[in-house]
Amino acid sequence: MPYLETAQSWLTQSTLLIQARPSTAPNVTLQTRITTKYTIAHAADSPKAPVKKSSRAQKTKVAGTEATPASTENTPPVRAILILKTYDPISGATLKYSTNKAAEVSRLIQIVGRLARPMAGLPEVKDEAIPDADAVEGTGTATPVVEQPQEKPKAGVSQGQSGKKGKKKGKK
Amino acid sequence: MANVPLNNEDFFLRLADLFDERREKDHGSVFLTQKRMTYGEDENALEGPDTTSSLELQGLQPPKPAPIIIRATNGKSRGKRSKKIKLSTIVQAEELESFFVKYAEICKLGMSGLKKRDRSRRKKETKAKKKKGAIGVGEDATKNT
Repeated sequence: MPYLETAQSWLTQSTLLIQARPSTAPNVTLQTRITTKYTIAHAADSPKAPVKKSSRAQKTKVAGTEATPASTENTPPVRAILILKTYDPISGATLKYSTNKAAEVSRLIQIVGRLARPMAGLPEVKDEAIPDADAVEGTGTATPVVEQPQEKPKAGVSQGQSGKKGKKKGKK
Repeated sequence: MANVPLNNEDFFLRLADLFDERREKDHGSVFLTQKRMTYGEDENALEGPDTTSSLELQGLQPPKPAPIIIRATNGKSRGKRSKKIKLSTIVQAEELESFFVKYAEICKLGMSGLKKRDRSRRKKETKAKKKKGAIGVGEDATKNT
């Protein structure tokens, strides 16, 4: 269940996962899904404030951005966090990205909107709506490959086989 | 509470309410999920087995673009299930683009608890101060305290 370093790599990996397994079963509950979770933690002075144990995971995630709570004396520490998650319930492949920056929200929703296209079975957007799409990822395989996903599944005839394949792709 | 999909406009209104509620309570979560809506779609696919390739069966190449279902909840479950709010809406493939423009706006407004981009402002302020500093140093001192 990896947390990806950048939103861009999350987009790239999620695109690959959704392309490989856009629809894993006829049942809607078994579709590859994207969850956007926005959480505000309890205030530090609240009796329900997160104890160290539970916040450990969060600290490691956003260590770089949350490491300077002391410097913001006037403004209360940021308790909200946004986590994006792509999950394929069949293979169990999970991709996550988290941020606490408000400035990233609209771009992230744009990214989620982009991912909705392969999810719906539409071809990838031709023009790069997100400017640094290829700049960050040197591989650049994610976006162009989209329109020919047909070759991948031919090898795996049965659902089970394709499931394993999808998992491998997701974990790359 | 029946979980009947709302139309997109109503969904936006209710989603904004959901975010507002979080802001008022000052804690808690909003979960948004999206996935392909296939319920009922596959029956159509099965009607024409001759034209349905294995690719279609695996959902890799649906005969036509599938709609996306978007759900939102406040994550209340188990003990607090009575307080649970569930919203959902179905977005047709061709409406995705316009939907996500509005969706991004709602989310941007709703997720106000995130870290603002205030450092750049501070930098500008400090720069301004430096410029002013030559003229009025006393002003700086009062601001800093």
